[in-house]
Amino acid sequence: MTDPTRPIVEGEAAPVGGGFGVALDLPSGHDGAAPEGGEVQAIQSGWRLAVREYFDNRLAVIGLVVLIFFVLFSFVGPIIHPTNQTLTEPLSTDLAPGGAHLLGTDGNGFDELGRIMKGGQAALEVGFLAALIATIVGTLYGAIAGLVGGVVDGIMMRFVDVLLSIPYLLIVLVLATKYSSNVLNISVVLAAFSWLVPARLVRGEVLSLRVRDFVHACRVMGGGSTRIVYRHLIPNALSVVIVNITFLIADSILALSYLGFLGFGLQYPATSWGDMLGNAQQNVSAGYWWLVYPVGGCLVAVVLAVNLIGDALRDALDVRLRRR
Amino acid sequence: MIGYIIRRLIVAFIVTIGITAVTFALLHLMSPSPVYAVLGNKSQPAAVAAWNKAHGYDRPEYEQFLSYLWGILRLNFGYSYKLSQSVSALFQENLGRSAYLSGAALVLSIIIAVPLGIAQAVKRNTVGDYTATTLNFVLYSMPSFFLGLILIQFFALDLHIFPPGVSDTITTTWGAITHPRQLFLPVITLALINVASFSRYMRSSALDNLAQDYIRLARAKGLSERAVLFRHLLRNASLPLITLIGLSVPTLVAGNLLIEVLFNYQGVGLLFFTALGNADYNILLAYTILGGILTVLGNLLADVAITVADPRVRLR
Repeated sequence: MTDPTRPIVEGEAAPVGGGFGVALDLPSGHDGAAPEGGEVQAIQSGWRLAVREYFDNRLAVIGLVVLIFFVLFSFVGPIIHPTNQTLTEPLSTDLAPGGAHLLGTDGNGFDELGRIMKGGQAALEVGFLAALIATIVGTLYGAIAGLVGGVVDGIMMRFVDVLLSIPYLLIVLVLATKYSSNVLNISVVLAAFSWLVPARLVRGEVLSLRVRDFVHACRVMGGGSTRIVYRHLIPNALSVVIVNITFLIADSILALSYLGFLGFGLQYPATSWGDMLGNAQQNVSAGYWWLVYPVGGCLVAVVLAVNLIGDALRDALDVRLRRR
Repeated sequence: MIGYIIRRLIVAFIVTIGITAVTFALLHLMSPSPVYAVLGNKSQPAAVAAWNKAHGYDRPEYEQFLSYLWGILRLNFGYSYKLSQSVSALFQENLGRSAYLSGAALVLSIIIAVPLGIAQAVKRNTVGDYTATTLNFVLYSMPSFFLGLILIQFFALDLHIFPPGVSDTITTTWGAITHPRQLFLPVITLALINVASFSRYMRSSALDNLAQDYIRLARAKGLSERAVLFRHLLRNASLPLITLIGLSVPTLVAGNLLIEVLFNYQGVGLLFFTALGNADYNILLAYTILGGILTVLGNLLADVAITVADPRVRLR
C-alpha cells in the first residue's frame, strides 16, 4: 500500500501543497493507488517546495552562507593559515594587528586569528553535538510519552516540567564545574538539560498525529508500536524537530560562550570564543580591542546565522505559513 | 477561579519538590559531603567519618533529602562552610540588590519594548521597522556579557559618562538605588536583552490586533489615531506581555549572574559565581532551587494575571 507518511507537511495540506501538484503531474488521475513513480514525485515536490521557499528568503540564504563560511574558516582556515597554538610566546604577547599576526596576539602570545579559528571549531562542534544528542533523546522520549499516553505520559511529562523549571544556565554551570573538560563532555552536559523542549514538541506532534487516519490504518493492518513510531510518527514530526535543532544549536553555542566567559569552559589549551572573552574587561580597558571585538563579532555572527536559518526553515516547512 | 488557583498552587508545590529532589540528587552525586572543604583535603578518614556523623552526612540519602526539604520550608538552606555563614543570611544580604537590578531592568525593558513594538506594527515594512527588527534580532543573538562589554567600551571608556563597573562601596540595596549612575550600565544591558524578545512579541501582537474589527470600528466612528492606538490597541496588544514577563524569570536569573560578574555588582549572581569557583555546594544547591521556585512562581503568576486581565481566557 502507499505510505502517506513521508510527505511530512503536505499530508496536512494536500489541497494546497504537494498533493495538488501531484494530481496535476500524474498522467492518470489515480487516488490512493498511485503508481510508484507518482508517489516519489509527491515526496520530492513537497521537499522541493520547501527548499525553493527557503532559498527565496534572502536572509535565510545569508544565514546559510555565513554558517558555511564559518565552518570553512574554522576547519579549513588553520590549514591555510597555520599558527602556533600550543607553545606560549612570552616575548610577543598582546601585539597589535599587523605583520605576521593579522589580528595581533593574545596574552599568551598566541596568534589571535588562529585562536579564533580554534574557538570556532569548539563552538560549531559543541553546538552541533549538543543539539544532536538533545534532539535524539528528546525525540525518542517525546514520541514514547505521546504514544503510550495515560499515566506513563503524565509521569514522563511531569518529569520534563520539573527539569524545565530548573534554570538552565545555573544547573549547567554547576555540572560544568566538574564534568566539562572536552567537547564531548560539555556537549553532554548542555544536552542533559536541553532535550526537554524537543521532547515536548515531539510529544505534542505525536498526540495530534496518532489519532490521524493513516496511523489507524497502519494499526489496523497490524503495524506494531515500534513501526508506528519509527516509520510514521517520527518522520511526520520531523519538520518541527528540524526547526528546533537550529535553535538548539544557537542556544548551545551561546551557553558554551557563557561557560567559557565565566571560566568553566573547555580545559586549556583547548579554547572557545567564550574562554577568549574571559578577561575581555581587562583587554577592553587596556585598549586591546583586537582581543575582544573580532571574537565577539564571530560569536554573534554565527548565532545570528543559525537563528536566521531556523526562522527561515520554520517558514519554509510550515505549510500553514507557506505563501504558495 | 479560586479553585483553579488552589489547584495550580498544589501542582506548583509538587513541581517545587521535584526541582528540589532533582537538584539535590545531582549535587549530592557531585559532592556527597562538604567535609573536605572544612577539614582539608588530607584529613584522616576517622576525622572525616566523625565530622560526617556529627553533621548528619552519614545518614542515608533520602533522609538527608527529607531534612533538607524540611529546612527549606523553614527557609533554612544550609550552611556555607567556605563563607562561614548560613546560606539564608547570605541570600538575605544579596537578594535585595539582585532584585533591584532585575526589577529595574524589567521595568525599563517594558517601557522601551511596548512603544517600540507598537510603533513597528503601525509603521510596518518601513525602513524604521526593518532597522528595529534587525537590531532586535542581533541583540537576541548576542551574549549578554558581550553586549555589556560594548556598552562599557562606548559609555565608560570612550565617553566617560558612566563607570565601567559598580563600585565596591555599594553594599546595600539602598546604596544601589541612590547611585543610579553606578547601576546605569548593568540595568541597561539586562534591559536590552529583554527588549529584544519583548518587542518582537509586541510587534506581532500589535499586528494581530490592528487587523481586528474593533480597531476598524474605532477608526470608523471617527476616533483620532492617537485614541485608537493608546486607548484601544495598547491595552489589548500588551496582553501577551503578561505571559512573557512571567516566563522571563530564567532569563533574568541567568542575566543577573552574567551581568553581576561582568560589572562586579554584589548580588546573588556574583555569590553563585564565587561559589562555583569555591565548590561551595550548599550555595549552588540553594540558588538553583531558588531559581527553580521563582520560575514556577513566575509561570503561575503570569497564568493567574492573564485570566484577570483577559476575560476571554476561561478557566476550568
